[in-house]
Amino acid sequence: MMKEEKGKYKYGMVIDLDKCSGCGTCMVACASENNVSVRADESDKERSITWMQLFKITNGKPFPDTEVSYFPRPCMHCHHHTPCVSVCPATATRIDYNTGIVSQIYTRCIGCRYCQAACPYHARYFNWWDGYGLAKPFSKGLERALSPEVSVRMRGVVEKCSFCHHRLMSAKSKAYAEGRREIREDEYIPACAEACPTQAITFGDLNNPRHKVSQLIKSPRAFRLLERLGTEPKVYYLSSKSWVRKMADNYLPNQFQQVTKAMT
Amino acid sequence: MEQQMRSSGNSPKGGWLSTLIDLVLSYYARIISQPFQSGLVWFLGGLGGALFVGWILFPMALYSEQTQPINFSHAIHTMPDIGLDEPTELGRCLHCHSFRNDGTFAGIPKLETCMECHDDPESPLGETAEEKKFLKQYVANEKEVPWFSYYKQPDCVYFPHIAHVKMGKIDCRTCHGDHAKTDNLPLYKKNRLTKYSINIWGKHISGYKANTWDRMKMDDCAECHTKTGHEENNACFVCHK
Amino acid sequence: MEKERKGFWETIAFNRRNFIKLLVGGAVGTAVSPLPWKLTDDIAIWTQNWPWVPVPDAGEFSYAKTVCTLCPGGCGVKVRKTDNRPIKIEGRTDYPVNPGGICPLGAGGLQVLYNDNIRFPGPMKRVGPRGSGKFMDISWNEALKELAKRLAGLRRQGRPDAIVAVDGNPAGTTTSLLVQRFLKAVGSPNYERIPTAEDTYSMANWLTTGNKGPMAYDLENADFILSFGCGLIEGWGSPGRVLNAWGLWHSNPLARRVKIVQVEPRASNTASKADEWIAPLPGTETALALGLAHVIIREGLYHQGFVQGHAFGFTDWRSSDGKEHKGFKKLVLDNYSPEKVAQITGLKPSKIVSLARAFGRSRAPVALCGRGKGDLNGSLYEFMAIQCLNALKGNINQPGGVILSKPIPLSTWPEIQADSIAQKGLEKPRLDKAQTLQFPFTGSLINNLSEAILEKGKSPVDTLLIFSANPAFTLPDGGSFRKAMERIPYIVSFSPFKDDSALMADLILPDHTYLEKTEDIVWPRGLQYPLYALTKPVTSPLYNTRHNGDTLITLAKLVGGGPAASFPWSNYEQALRERVKGLFESGGGLTTYDQSAPAWKGFPSRRGVQSDYSSFEDMWKKLKSGGLWYYPAHDFGNWETIFETPSGAFEFASSRIELALNELSSRTYLGAALKEMGIRAKGDEVFVPHFEKGPVAEPESEYPLIMVPYTLINLSSTWAPNPPYLNKTLFDNQLRKDDSFVEINPQTASRYGLKQGDRIFIESPKGRIAVRVNLFEGAMPGVLFLPLGFGHRAYDAYERNKGANPNDIVNAGKDPISGHPVWWQTRVKILKA
Repeated sequence: MMKEEKGKYKYGMVIDLDKCSGCGTCMVACASENNVSVRADESDKERSITWMQLFKITNGKPFPDTEVSYFPRPCMHCHHHTPCVSVCPATATRIDYNTGIVSQIYTRCIGCRYCQAACPYHARYFNWWDGYGLAKPFSKGLERALSPEVSVRMRGVVEKCSFCHHRLMSAKSKAYAEGRREIREDEYIPACAEACPTQAITFGDLNNPRHKVSQLIKSPRAFRLLERLGTEPKVYYLSSKSWVRKMADNYLPNQFQQVTKAMT
Repeated sequence: MEQQMRSSGNSPKGGWLSTLIDLVLSYYARIISQPFQSGLVWFLGGLGGALFVGWILFPMALYSEQTQPINFSHAIHTMPDIGLDEPTELGRCLHCHSFRNDGTFAGIPKLETCMECHDDPESPLGETAEEKKFLKQYVANEKEVPWFSYYKQPDCVYFPHIAHVKMGKIDCRTCHGDHAKTDNLPLYKKNRLTKYSINIWGKHISGYKANTWDRMKMDDCAECHTKTGHEENNACFVCHK
Repeated sequence: MEKERKGFWETIAFNRRNFIKLLVGGAVGTAVSPLPWKLTDDIAIWTQNWPWVPVPDAGEFSYAKTVCTLCPGGCGVKVRKTDNRPIKIEGRTDYPVNPGGICPLGAGGLQVLYNDNIRFPGPMKRVGPRGSGKFMDISWNEALKELAKRLAGLRRQGRPDAIVAVDGNPAGTTTSLLVQRFLKAVGSPNYERIPTAEDTYSMANWLTTGNKGPMAYDLENADFILSFGCGLIEGWGSPGRVLNAWGLWHSNPLARRVKIVQVEPRASNTASKADEWIAPLPGTETALALGLAHVIIREGLYHQGFVQGHAFGFTDWRSSDGKEHKGFKKLVLDNYSPEKVAQITGLKPSKIVSLARAFGRSRAPVALCGRGKGDLNGSLYEFMAIQCLNALKGNINQPGGVILSKPIPLSTWPEIQADSIAQKGLEKPRLDKAQTLQFPFTGSLINNLSEAILEKGKSPVDTLLIFSANPAFTLPDGGSFRKAMERIPYIVSFSPFKDDSALMADLILPDHTYLEKTEDIVWPRGLQYPLYALTKPVTSPLYNTRHNGDTLITLAKLVGGGPAASFPWSNYEQALRERVKGLFESGGGLTTYDQSAPAWKGFPSRRGVQSDYSSFEDMWKKLKSGGLWYYPAHDFGNWETIFETPSGAFEFASSRIELALNELSSRTYLGAALKEMGIRAKGDEVFVPHFEKGPVAEPESEYPLIMVPYTLINLSSTWAPNPPYLNKTLFDNQLRKDDSFVEINPQTASRYGLKQGDRIFIESPKGRIAVRVNLFEGAMPGVLFLPLGFGHRAYDAYERNKGANPNDIVNAGKDPISGHPVWWQTRVKILKA
């Protein structure tokens, strides 16, 4: 178990479920940014790879009081006792307390899938097949869209959301070129947050009180998924709807508190 | 012989240990003194053969050798009077191996950069045979020179030159050696199995590293990060992508 | 002792003991050589670098700005490239439509460009049987000559009207105009468009306000949005724009200003995320709109000034022939009380009253009409009724309301030079009966065309040209057009994709994809200010394709005669540039956009816009590089002059319907005229928006359920192929292996003993499709909801035979007056598979 250290940066994400329309742009932007492979049959959700995954929830009420909502779920980059990191026998996944980003090194991964079992958020995906190259019969030509910024995975390794950390590296390089050591808030944003047409996803440094994310997580609407596990996820959600908030499974029956206007 | 053994075995002075030592010594003494009768030559032959294979043949077989398409003289191109208008040697390196505005490193220059000087139709600087080859085969056809890159890291590695050269103030030669002073491009040696260049994978087959630029594996990166007090940069996602 | 006496060679003989010594020596030698250690390391590394795992080339990163045309939304996109290779599509922040955001289809666009399996490598000719997908390569010259010969031959025979074009390009775009022009020049009146919501918008606008353009709404400045089925966050209008507005509306959900109400029989995303969801029975939206009007009128919540001063037919009116007619007010008060409407729609009267009051008491309420994404037409009377709600509040040509604008000031080309063959051909009646007395307001009626082809002995169509459309898949006609295509002797597809319609073609003249060519977007769907956009090729064409515009110009020249003379340009860009001159001559407009000052923000107060270019050349340069010209200001109000109806006012009762009906009935009699136009109402109701039961004729006893198709933002249901990445976004209760799902209320399902995942057939008089059951509380009981976009017979493994296409069983009657298909309600029954 790694010792939790206080690092300089702690990148995190806030997803406003009141704004989220469930359109799936985040998923497509993510896949396109990160060279995620695509199979002919993506309907088998235990095999399809989606670093960012939309989950559809309903309030379960009968017609016409039914409501649906969505949870976009990237890797939570758990800050405390990061479950996947603590079980990896190959040191292929680590948390860097200096950025808070949980890394996954494909060339190091031995494909044991222990991390997949450990992750409480199902944020990790196994490559059952080669995504590109050998998959050519049904994806002829698609490899031309591959980005050189993210390495292409081979079969037999686990992959997951990286908070688009290559964008952090690029932003740093750009800052260095301009003679700066620090990057600005808007210079490092993951592909999902950038593409979101309703601006539901906000990204930034949770250690920096001036960053928008630090302000948003103080909202009475803010919560995280499965907080009682104590993994301190760095992905926060905002919702004003009680039934949505209850889905996060954070409350004992008598603990739940509704968000009201008075709380703002 | 049986007698000898028995007498030493019965010696009242020596314990069983000295007896054992005596035995072993005498055994080896006999082997060495009678290399043929004892079969030592067979052992040495096997040893020698294996060493020959391991140290000489194996490295030869492991690396393929390729000659660069054109022999390029860094020494000439980094001379102060070359006309690049860069006062420092680093400046002259960066003139061709340049940084882009976004901080990415252009690496081996494209034909376009070469053409900055070699495009004069009156005097395209084509005196030597290599220069003539360059002008005829590549410039005339507007074809990029298919250089072999000695220092290309594998696809899983992200190496920002700008962080090291500009922010870390590390001299080019720290990792690349005194390339600027060479007149000939070395052979490009590629590991047949890993497809990595010998410059990345280690010049000495033994793993012995005489110079910083002899090898560029992960441990070498980490070693330097640690030595220079940048241990935080040993996190996986700093160098991996 | 004997051993010592042996000879030298004997002493070192190769025997077992010495062999072992050799091996030991070898082992020791190997162990201290680098071989085992290095080899182990290398092999380990080798396993990390399988030669078949591609290593993408790295180069200099750059962005190429362009505009997305996968839908008519016209969002600004930038394409990330490494050296010259596009690797990703992102939203542009320097574009007024979609400040940075993008939709899933737009984000997946590269997979449309790059997918070898769905693209034609060049011009091709069919070799196998129709639909087999067997084609052979031919040269552009051969292909164009073959087609030109056929067209010229038809012209020589005096049958130019047997040439039909189906055009899916958005109306008013240069390519679309070139297609129209080509058809006119060869002498065929049979130009067909794929019906979209735009057509119904334009008709409803024409009849109520006299404005010819489609509807435009100043959404961002409205304070109450009443959407009748528009998939606001599911691709309606310009998705980048509306989704962005949605984000703005929800930026502080605990203290919000804008109220959004969604009217729809299914708990769609928009319905769920709206502040209120109203679920009337499918096809009764008109009744609800009129019920709301009833309450607003009864309680005096309407805009007196507007209704009294600038409206016609609100009160009782007199027609041109001097007859007295009941007005909108009287008819609505008589027929649409909350109680009556409650009976029709299945809603509670109190809900109707409270909604009407909320709408009526808002400052800038706007009622939106449309269905889903708006890729298909709507109902004319319904759209008119909803427009009347806006008029009741006087929210016409007002900030935060319906915007009436002049068309974008593009230049017009010189008239075509119709030769004698063309003149004769153009005099022939349209095969689809559009623009006739029977369907006077409708431009084209492709559903009537398939009827005409199917009913006669020999197909009246000889050559069908298909541009940017996939009528064999997208038309909600129960597969009629596909059947009609089988009877057409010669089909030419201009599609870059191996889509369902192209597979039935005899000749392929493939276009570039949108990322490989220049084309224009004329006014993105629903935007409140005029915007003209230009795409820019972000890569040179990957295949041997040609711009449709260029193909048409070459073709016209090959046909010769009038067509050749009507196409004086040497290429598409020349024709485009000629049109753009008008923008410059209009004297205003901007070609750049600053994100910090959103175009909609100053829209209510901005009076005019100075141009940010000095000459036409300057403007052309800027337009080509940024792809943008827009005029974000508007002349509000002007109620005295803005309405171009016969009465000069907003028409609650349409004098144009009255005139058309008079003309038609003068030939027969009124009852027959009404029947021809498909109007079931009688009397004065005919002229005002009113509710009619759908044209469904099947008995409820045989087909007890209603099937309603719906659209998804993350599944392309138009001509654009679905990028494989979008398959990731579909849930496994929308698509599972090759089965798509029907949404059924658990209550309805239990009546049929159906469980989640059961395979069933849904059958209508038009046919049956197989789907699986998805139990969904948000589906109205008794109604089956099927997504549009599944069930392709073409493309590749990502799309072919995945799911079922509800269009195949739509039993579309005709919408009154417009004649468009009524695709939103088909009576069906369930059969267990």
